[in-house]
Amino acid sequence: MSENVTRRNVLKNLAGIVGGILALPAARTCQAAVRNVFATAQAPKGYDPFKHKWLMALDVDRCIGCGFCVEACKAENSVPQDNFRTWIERYVVTRPKPGSGESRGDTFVDSPDGGIGGFKPSLIPKEDVLKSFFVPKLCNQCENSPCSQVCPVGATFESPDGVVLVDKNYCIGCGFCIQACPYGCRFLNPETHTADKCTLCYHRITRGLRPACVEICPSQARIFGDLKNPIADDPLQRFIENNKTQGLKAHLGTKPRVRYANLDEEVR
Amino acid sequence: MPPQITRLVLLTIAIICAYFTARYLLTPQSFGQYGHYRGAALQEIAGREPFWAGRKTCDTCHGEIVQKLAKAEHKGLSCETCHGPAKAHVDNPEVKLPKPGYGQCVRCHEASPSRPAWIHQVTPAKHYTGQVCTECHVPHQPNEVP
Repeated sequence: MSENVTRRNVLKNLAGIVGGILALPAARTCQAAVRNVFATAQAPKGYDPFKHKWLMALDVDRCIGCGFCVEACKAENSVPQDNFRTWIERYVVTRPKPGSGESRGDTFVDSPDGGIGGFKPSLIPKEDVLKSFFVPKLCNQCENSPCSQVCPVGATFESPDGVVLVDKNYCIGCGFCIQACPYGCRFLNPETHTADKCTLCYHRITRGLRPACVEICPSQARIFGDLKNPIADDPLQRFIENNKTQGLKAHLGTKPRVRYANLDEEVR
Repeated sequence: MPPQITRLVLLTIAIICAYFTARYLLTPQSFGQYGHYRGAALQEIAGREPFWAGRKTCDTCHGEIVQKLAKAEHKGLSCETCHGPAKAHVDNPEVKLPKPGYGQCVRCHEASPSRPAWIHQVTPAKHYTGQVCTECHVPHQPNEVP
C-alpha cells in the first residue's frame, strides 16, 4: 500500500478530484436527462403548492352510511382489497340500565368491510339503541404529523398545500409511520411494499377536481375546499361558519386539520 | 511545512471533496425544493390519472339534465354516484353507462336507525316490493310524479 502513496500518485488523484468537480455540470445534465426518460406522467403545469391550502371537513349529521365514498376511493386510488384510505364507522350507543343513573349505556363501533356495499342492520335490537350514527374517517392531514416525524428516511412529509404525502421512491416499508399514526389511517401496501395513505386525491385536486369521496358523496357529508382561494359561496367556508367544528384526538397535539362537525364524545 | 503535514492536509481536502461530490451526486435534484424532502415526489403523486370524471365533465354535454337536477331534491348528487364511473363514456360516447336501479336507491333510502332523520327512508318490504322505484319516482326530480 505504502508504495502507492507517492507524490506522483497523490497529485494524480488530486487532479482527478478537481477534474471531477469541473465535470459536475455535465454530470448534472446527464443525470437530468436520465431522470426525464424514466419520469412518469407529469403533474399539471403551473400548479404552485404554495398558493393553495386544501381542507376536508366532515358533517357527521349528514353521513347516511351508504359507503359510496369508500368504493369511490378504492376505485380512484387502486387501494388493495383489505386496506382503506377512507372508511365509515357505525357507532351504536345503547340505552343505560334502568335506574342506573347513567346517561348512556355501552358504545359499539363496527365498520364491516369499511362500509363497502352499505351497512347491514346492526345486531343490537332497535329498542336497545339510544342513538346511532355514522362517522367517515380518513387521514387527518396533521399539521404536526407523527407519521412524518418518525419516518427514518424522510419519505413522508407535509406538503405546502396541506397534505401529508408519501414519497414511494424513498419509503423503505419499515412501518414506523403506521404505528405512529394515532388515527390508524396508514397501511402497508402489499403491492408496492410501501406505506400508503389518503392523499386527498392529490392528482385530482391539483387538476381542479374534487377528491373522489367528496365527488361521489350523495349527502354532502364531505366538504372540501381551498382555504387560500375560496370560490363564490364556498361550501367549506359556509361549513366552518355554520358549525362548531373540532379535530379528532386534539389532546395528542398532532394538530389534525380535517374538521368534524356534530361529533359525539365517543368518537375518537 | 513538514511533508507529513502536507500529506495530511491534502488527504483531508480529498476526503472533504469526496464527501461533497458524493452528496451532490446522490441527492435528488429536487430535494429541498419545498422542504426536507424530494420536491419531485409532489409531481409524481399528482401525475396519476383521475378515475372519476366529475359532475363538471358531465355538465359539458348533459348540461340540461344537470341544470334540472340542480333545482330538485337530488341537487347535491354527482352523476357518477348513481350512474357509475363515466370515464369510458367520456372517452367514447358510444359506450353507454349501465342504467341505475333499485340497488342504487336503497343504498341511501333503506331505513336504518343509524341514519339521520333528514333523509327519506323506507322499509322496502313494507313500502313496495316491486323493486322498480321509477314506477312512482323520478330520480332526477324526486318531487315530481312520472
